[in-house]
Amino acid sequence: MARVVLKDLTKRYAGGNLAVDRLNLEVADGEFVCLVGPSGCGKTTALRMIAGLEDISSGEVSIGDKVVNMLPPRDRDIALVFQSYALYPHMSVYDNMAFGLKLRKTPKADIERSVREAARILDLERFLDRKPGQLSGGQRQRVALGRAIVREPAVFLMDEPLSNLDAKLRVQTRAEIARLHQRLQATMIYVTHDQVEAMTMADRIAVISDGVLQQVGTPKQLYEEPCNRFVAGFIGSPSMNFVELKVQREDGMRLVCEGTQVVLDDAMAAQLRDLGLEAATVGVRPEHLRVGEPEGPGLRVSATVDVVEFLGNDALIHAAAEGRDVVAIVGADIHLAVGDAVILSAAPRHVYLFEPQSEMSLGAR
Amino acid sequence: MAAQARRRSLVLRRIVATPAPDPGAPNLEAAVLPETGRAPGGGWRRHLGSLAFLTPAGIWLLVIVGYPLIGTIRDSFYNNDSTKLVGLGNYKTLFSTADILVTFRNNVIWVIVFPFLVTFLGLLFAVLTERVRWATAFKTIIFMPIAFSATASALVWNSIMSIDPHVGMLNASIETVDDWFNAPGLYPVNASAGQTVASLAATGLRPGPGATLESTATVAPGQTLKLGMIGISPATLQLVGAEKAVVPPAASGAVSGVVWRDFSPSHPAVRGVVFPDEDGIAGLHLSLLSSNGSSVASTVTDAHGAFSFSSLSTGSYRVEVVANNFASGFTGIYWLSGTQSLTPTSGLSQTAQALLSVPLVDLSMITAYLWIWAGFAMVIIGAGLAALNREVLEAARIDGATEWQTFRRVTMPMLAPVLIVVLVTMIINVLKIFDIIVNMAPSVSQANTLAVAMYDFGYASSPSANGLASAIAVILFILVVPVIYINLRRIR
Amino acid sequence: MSVAEAAGLAIPVRRRRLSIHFRPSRLVLNVVLVLVAIFWLVPTISLTVISFRPEGLFGISGWWTVLTAPSQLTIQNYETLLSTGFATGGILDSLVTTAAITVPATILVTVLSSLAAYSLVFGRWRGRTAVFLVIVALLVVPVQVALIPVAQLYDAFGNLTGLKLFGSLPGVIIFHVAFGLPFGVFLMRNFYTGIPKDLLEAGRIDGAGEWTLFRRVVMPLGLPAAASLAIFQFIWVWNDLLVGLVFLGGNPHHTLTIFLFSQTRTLAANYWVISTGAMISIIVPLAIFFSFQRYFVRGVLAGAVK
Ligand SMILES: Nc1ncnc2c1ncn2[C@@H]1O[C@H](COP(=O)(O)OP(=O)(O)O)[C@@H](O)[C@H]1O
Ligand SMILES: [Mg+2]
Repeated sequence: MARVVLKDLTKRYAGGNLAVDRLNLEVADGEFVCLVGPSGCGKTTALRMIAGLEDISSGEVSIGDKVVNMLPPRDRDIALVFQSYALYPHMSVYDNMAFGLKLRKTPKADIERSVREAARILDLERFLDRKPGQLSGGQRQRVALGRAIVREPAVFLMDEPLSNLDAKLRVQTRAEIARLHQRLQATMIYVTHDQVEAMTMADRIAVISDGVLQQVGTPKQLYEEPCNRFVAGFIGSPSMNFVELKVQREDGMRLVCEGTQVVLDDAMAAQLRDLGLEAATVGVRPEHLRVGEPEGPGLRVSATVDVVEFLGNDALIHAAAEGRDVVAIVGADIHLAVGDAVILSAAPRHVYLFEPQSEMSLGAR
Repeated sequence: MAAQARRRSLVLRRIVATPAPDPGAPNLEAAVLPETGRAPGGGWRRHLGSLAFLTPAGIWLLVIVGYPLIGTIRDSFYNNDSTKLVGLGNYKTLFSTADILVTFRNNVIWVIVFPFLVTFLGLLFAVLTERVRWATAFKTIIFMPIAFSATASALVWNSIMSIDPHVGMLNASIETVDDWFNAPGLYPVNASAGQTVASLAATGLRPGPGATLESTATVAPGQTLKLGMIGISPATLQLVGAEKAVVPPAASGAVSGVVWRDFSPSHPAVRGVVFPDEDGIAGLHLSLLSSNGSSVASTVTDAHGAFSFSSLSTGSYRVEVVANNFASGFTGIYWLSGTQSLTPTSGLSQTAQALLSVPLVDLSMITAYLWIWAGFAMVIIGAGLAALNREVLEAARIDGATEWQTFRRVTMPMLAPVLIVVLVTMIINVLKIFDIIVNMAPSVSQANTLAVAMYDFGYASSPSANGLASAIAVILFILVVPVIYINLRRIR
Repeated sequence: MSVAEAAGLAIPVRRRRLSIHFRPSRLVLNVVLVLVAIFWLVPTISLTVISFRPEGLFGISGWWTVLTAPSQLTIQNYETLLSTGFATGGILDSLVTTAAITVPATILVTVLSSLAAYSLVFGRWRGRTAVFLVIVALLVVPVQVALIPVAQLYDAFGNLTGLKLFGSLPGVIIFHVAFGLPFGVFLMRNFYTGIPKDLLEAGRIDGAGEWTLFRRVVMPLGLPAAASLAIFQFIWVWNDLLVGLVFLGGNPHHTLTIFLFSQTRTLAANYWVISTGAMISIIVPLAIFFSFQRYFVRGVLAGAVK
């Protein structure tokens, strides 16, 4: 087992495209870290640099306290699960899993034992003689996992391993990988564009946008204290509502624009005053909005219901507030119909303020 | 009425072969359409319409390929002017004629050697070019010869492989390298014309051991020797820069003398006298042998043919003209020989000799043909490589495979179908190889193939031997039948 | 367009370099490939140079001496060879004859194959698959199996109608077309299979007839494939020796390959004619190769990989 340290890791592709920009990250031994970000933000590139499949433009990758920049993949003690699984099409499931061990000249009996064990864990025992072409997507995915497991690497790298599965299987396999991590206690770096995956599985999450690391933290930290508007919008589903409001100083400090206002509590007001801001971006999560007038300070939106999506226990409301779309999750027992006028409100502790230019969070509480 | 409509609609459906009818209202549309006269394309007419598109090609193939195929099979059982049934006679003749067996042998060589070589080269090039920046230029260069006719290629290679080092680049290159290690003497003996070193001795010389000459007389220091040679042309001497022969004066403690061309135009019959119109033999390497035959000194004659070994202790010596004066240089390899064998076959029966002696020209022709087709193999294999899932190859590297292990154990197996396609295509190609043979191999040679033999029987001989030619064609056809089978299985 | 690019049609857009860890061997690799490339170019260069050297120098000094003495180059051979103009049996006459065979044979194969493939893909008659499989089977039949009977057929036809096919250009063309068709149909059918049937159904609903559908929908869409086929077939026929040799028997007009072939068989040291003639004979296919490489490669791949 080993820890992984990325120091100013940078990748500039031949065309000049800066795919990863000075990425700094420490992954502790046995930790499960998710790299998450929208598609094309450089996650795969970062992972491939860790694996040794891609040249490093500048910076350092250390695995287990050893700089591995110049080591070929086979000397890095890693395993990589590819998005496309990349199974050897001409080998049976057994041989797919055994290949790495055979190359390492592991004794036959040991290979046999490791592969059978992995197959048992992953419920693949019945398929050992099949070729990948004769397996379903989920089974292939498990073979890819198995191929990584049997090698007992210090670090597992996974590149969107669930993205080719259907929704149900994805949830199932998600749990399986989490269990696997519990069991193996190995260091895992897991790439995904799906924040739900990251939130459910990771010990810590690193959010990347446009090649730049935005924030690293536990799922709870990211959810509660996003450092900027990007992270706030990216983490959480459905995503946070944002609105730009002007500062109004008469009768107490408040932020307003047509139909929406935020009555600030003292702490916020002081902060805004200190910064001398005339405007701020306000964010509030759909799940924190409730129907009804605010009790005391806080956010108040008056809007018209546009769409109601019934989710079972809850309902997802899309409401129009002066041309802006506001999304709220409300209890299914609150009956709203399209066209109803509605007042939505949120408590001050659920209201996030962002500096409009830099988009940095103001309420880093 | 309804039943009738349904039956009609069924008929229509069969004609039109409507894809998977919707179970809800399957027949309605088909039933209604004819009545409104809006059957797309007009029902039967459409059916015929598109079939008509096939007709020209179909008839063409039937008449020019289908029928002749049967005709050839029939002809192969008839005698040579197709008047008498001879059963398997033609085939028996083919398989019992040594020349034809050699022809078969050549086809076998081509079919075994060429496809594998060309596939190997194609694979090699395709893999190697993956790693260089100028792959496009390289591929274009290798692929270009495919635009050459086999005839033109054969002609080009004829010149490259010409035996004359002033024409054939290959022999010229070999000559250059060979001269480096094995310089020819100034006076090469043309052994192939029957000339020997011994025949050069005229006066005071006799054949020595090996291809040397030595003085007949033994000499002591202070004496001179006159050594006459014949059979060396004035042109050669002129080229070497030889001048009038001069007998050097005797000197004490030295053995001196002259080696000269002992042939005077003014006294053609007189030997042993140095006439003024006789030239010395310049640049000749000599060595001085002591009485026990070991060489004690060496020298080179000057432009007048004079030489001198000085500071000698007393004793008796002989002068030797060493062998490398007469060494002939590289005279060219007859790459296009249709008979010179690559394999030793002496001591075998005549048929075995014929069958086992592979002519040199086979090698040359295979080279020329590789030049044409390697690009084809490379392009196809390259496309196959490019279509491989890169991530699988990367997975192998993650799994710990070296470059070579990845290639051997992952790339190659994944590429196997493409390699087989190339192999099979090339086997078919060389099975009927004709152009390159008739243009490169000498007309009378051990290098003919079935296609050439068939052409010779059917067209180049008079009267033509249709029966034999047809039998060969049938054999060619039988040889491709497995490929037809493979193709059909692949398509299905 | 280049071979590599064209051959890369099926390649996923983003190609990653295979490896990152063997720099030192890269130089060796490049050197080896340069040597191979030079080796591959030598025949073409030698042919070109020989054709531009005076006849008298052949056999006296090697063509490579041109490297040190470029002044020996001359167009004299071309002048001599072309000076006879279009006289029967000359090089220009052969060029015209070859073109007169190749062009019609190419057009016919392309058109007939397209039509047949249309019928095989979009027609709705039974047995289409069977017919296609028969055509696939014919794909590898050697021309040799048809030479003698077709010659007899031509004779019989001549006796019957007075039209001589044996020894005439149409006879050669007919034969070439027949042996070009299986590949043509195969290639075009494979391409047409990729055209969505809905497109034709839409046309049919609009009342278009089969011919209109072929002319207005399928043929324009199939143009790239047709181009591949045409180029493949063109080079194939242009370079043929055997068929011309057999079916032009007795005809004073020769194809280029026959012209060259007969020169080699005269044994005289007329290599200047051969090299100059060979140069003239490869100009057209080479030009086509370089202008339409992409289509040519596609044709090759369609024939082999599919
Ligand atoms: N081989 C390459 N050459 C050039 N640009 C590339 C290459 N691979 C990826 N990129 C670019 O780098 C950026 C990051 O890509 P990637 O790491 O695959 O993103 P992600 O995995 O986050 O979706 C993208 O803009 C992509 O277009
Ligand atoms: Mg990715």
